[in-house]
Amino acid sequence: MKYFILSLLLVSSIASADFTFIVPQKPGAGTSQWTEIVVREMQKYLDEKIIIKHIPGARDIPGFNSFHEKYMHDDTYVMVSHGGNGVSFLQEEVTYDYSAYDSIGLMNLNIIAGKLKHSDMNPVKFAAGSGMVPEAYAMTMLICGPNKTTDQYIKCFKDNVVWVKGMSGGERRLAFRRGELNGTRENPAAYKKHVEPNDKVELWFHHGILQPDGSHTDDPNYLGYQFELLFKEKWGVLPSGQFYNAYKLVKSFRDGLQKAIWVRAGNPNAIVLREALHKVATNPESISAIEKAVGKYEWIIGDDGNNRRDLLMTFISKDAMEVLVYFNREALGLASVNKL
Amino acid sequence: MLEIGIILAGTLYGLIIGLAPGIGATTGLIFLFSFISYFDPYNAVMFCMAIVAASTTFDTITSIMLGIPGANSSAATIVNGFPLAVKGRAISTISAAVTTSTINGLIWGGLTFIFLPYYTNIVLYFGIPHLWGLTIFAFTLVIFISKDWKKSAISLMLGILLGLVGVDPNTNVDRFTLGWDYLADGIQLLPLVAGLFAIPELIQRTKNVRVVKEYKQIALGIRYVIQNKLLALQGGVVGAIVGILPGIGGAAADWIAYSIAPKHGVKNVIAIEGANNSQKATSMIPTVLFGIPGAPFAAILIGLFSYINFEVGTIDLLEDIRFFDHMLYGFMAGSVFACIICFSLMSNIIHITRIPYKYYAPLIFSIIVFACVQYTGGWEDYIILFIFSLLGICVKKYNFNAPALLFGFILSERIEALTIQMVALYL
Repeated sequence: MKYFILSLLLVSSIASADFTFIVPQKPGAGTSQWTEIVVREMQKYLDEKIIIKHIPGARDIPGFNSFHEKYMHDDTYVMVSHGGNGVSFLQEEVTYDYSAYDSIGLMNLNIIAGKLKHSDMNPVKFAAGSGMVPEAYAMTMLICGPNKTTDQYIKCFKDNVVWVKGMSGGERRLAFRRGELNGTRENPAAYKKHVEPNDKVELWFHHGILQPDGSHTDDPNYLGYQFELLFKEKWGVLPSGQFYNAYKLVKSFRDGLQKAIWVRAGNPNAIVLREALHKVATNPESISAIEKAVGKYEWIIGDDGNNRRDLLMTFISKDAMEVLVYFNREALGLASVNKL
Repeated sequence: MLEIGIILAGTLYGLIIGLAPGIGATTGLIFLFSFISYFDPYNAVMFCMAIVAASTTFDTITSIMLGIPGANSSAATIVNGFPLAVKGRAISTISAAVTTSTINGLIWGGLTFIFLPYYTNIVLYFGIPHLWGLTIFAFTLVIFISKDWKKSAISLMLGILLGLVGVDPNTNVDRFTLGWDYLADGIQLLPLVAGLFAIPELIQRTKNVRVVKEYKQIALGIRYVIQNKLLALQGGVVGAIVGILPGIGGAAADWIAYSIAPKHGVKNVIAIEGANNSQKATSMIPTVLFGIPGAPFAAILIGLFSYINFEVGTIDLLEDIRFFDHMLYGFMAGSVFACIICFSLMSNIIHITRIPYKYYAPLIFSIIVFACVQYTGGWEDYIILFIFSLLGICVKKYNFNAPALLFGFILSERIEALTIQMVALYL
């Protein structure tokens, strides 16, 4: 009976919630934890109840698809997405579409790659995964140089990189620590925690921080290691061409939308949610709680979030998409699809 | 005094989640996100460790008394524990299980948490080929240490095949999903466990668990452990080794202990229960030293610790003696409190078995279904539970090896990934 009563209480609490945040992962996963923390802080300023609804599924796609197809038409439903959703949006058959939403806020971050100090990196041994696609592009260009066709880059990648599939994040860290992998990558908080303390490791490259004008700038925490700067230092010219455009596209969608909160475009609740998030972002106590738990990232709130999304959409071009999908399929073994 | 109260609260919380079918330490820890920040951070660490220790002990009771896994990691206990309960040996079996759990929890908890900062190099000795070899060795044990190796091999292979449903790690596309998107994230463990073990038991059960001579049975259970102390310690060693290896996973410890112990009776339960508590303790070694979860519950623990500003895997934390002390106190005292509560309340807890089966079976069935449909809450969850219930009934009827099937399922993803990694890096 007590379970029946508990179930009823649970159901009634969901029914009475003012907002439901959909997370496309199981409880306890990275974005789920992030959402727990952000929701707790937002509730202080909303003075209303927020329920987290987990809709897990393969590559975290079904949850976002469900939001788009079913839930977003109810104005109390809010979507929480992550960088992996951004990559899937580009290269997989998904129904969700960022242009159909209003941004409540998003977090932009950089990804940092490290390598073993005394390794000749020949070949590079790196953990695979659709989330690692931007690193594959960056290391291929750094190794192979400018002015190559996509086919030449594919051959160069296969000759110089061991792309190790089937590794979780934890296994990747352990394999790197054991020296079975000689390269790895992390977000800034995880890099500081897992990579920097290891005295056998040095900084390899980072992707830079996306700016409102569409450029990427050097990260003040890792000055001089932005991919574009290292490329120019090694090869004498800045990277350019279709392959570079594909790289810029995929890294921007992953890192620029690393954590994002969305509602249906025109949802009247967007105002109150943005206000709450703005208060969270400007309250030192709240932001400190978030930063301590999930790292220090740049917040982009409200219309600025929409502008950032619109900027990312301009990176999508026929050529960039063709190269992205072709390289993914031929070099990385991913079954990517070109939707353009 | 406050610290004792906190550990006691953690133990009681562990009691609740341990007794609830299908809810183990992993799920129980997830609930903590909503209130853990109100604790002093060090006390929160103690609270969490008490929960881990206590829930691992208490979930045994559900497995033995009801034939339903208190958590995924206690499924192995059902195989021999529940039949013993049906024969009227519930109390002695629980008593033996709690005794071996507590002893191994204290031994391996002590060895783990006192010397935790000194273990760094151990984990680094186990590379991908070693983990692969260990997994294959475990498969071999499951097949050949059984009554009918052919049926065990078929069961294991079926488990591995079911574990391959989902996404192909090579191409990142759906595999064996029959076009059903729901299966793209793989078959969920809880419906499989419930279908294989709990539902067939509920349907085919004709007798209530009998309870006789309660107090004498408690002493008898302790005596079993003393008589089989080497077996209890062997289970502890198996659990400890599996716990320290992040690639193998939590429930695997129980099944490896199950395979190498005598197959029947309380001896098997003693080995398994020794394994699951020691595994919980040693899985904290890779978790705390490297921030690499040694088991699923440890992944949640990393998030919780981060939430209260303890960044596992960092040098700062390794130098924080107070943090390690609180882990030690929480786990050790939680183990002791859980043991005391178990023995004190055992004669009350077992009264559930005096209720005629026809009255409590629907409630248990409802709880199992409720737990199994938490993945999406949609009709697909019910379908999956139904399918695996049918499979479980068939496996039971034709005497196939349900534990081997589950073992194959649990390690399927790991063995595939390890094979891919080994081929890429070493061949």
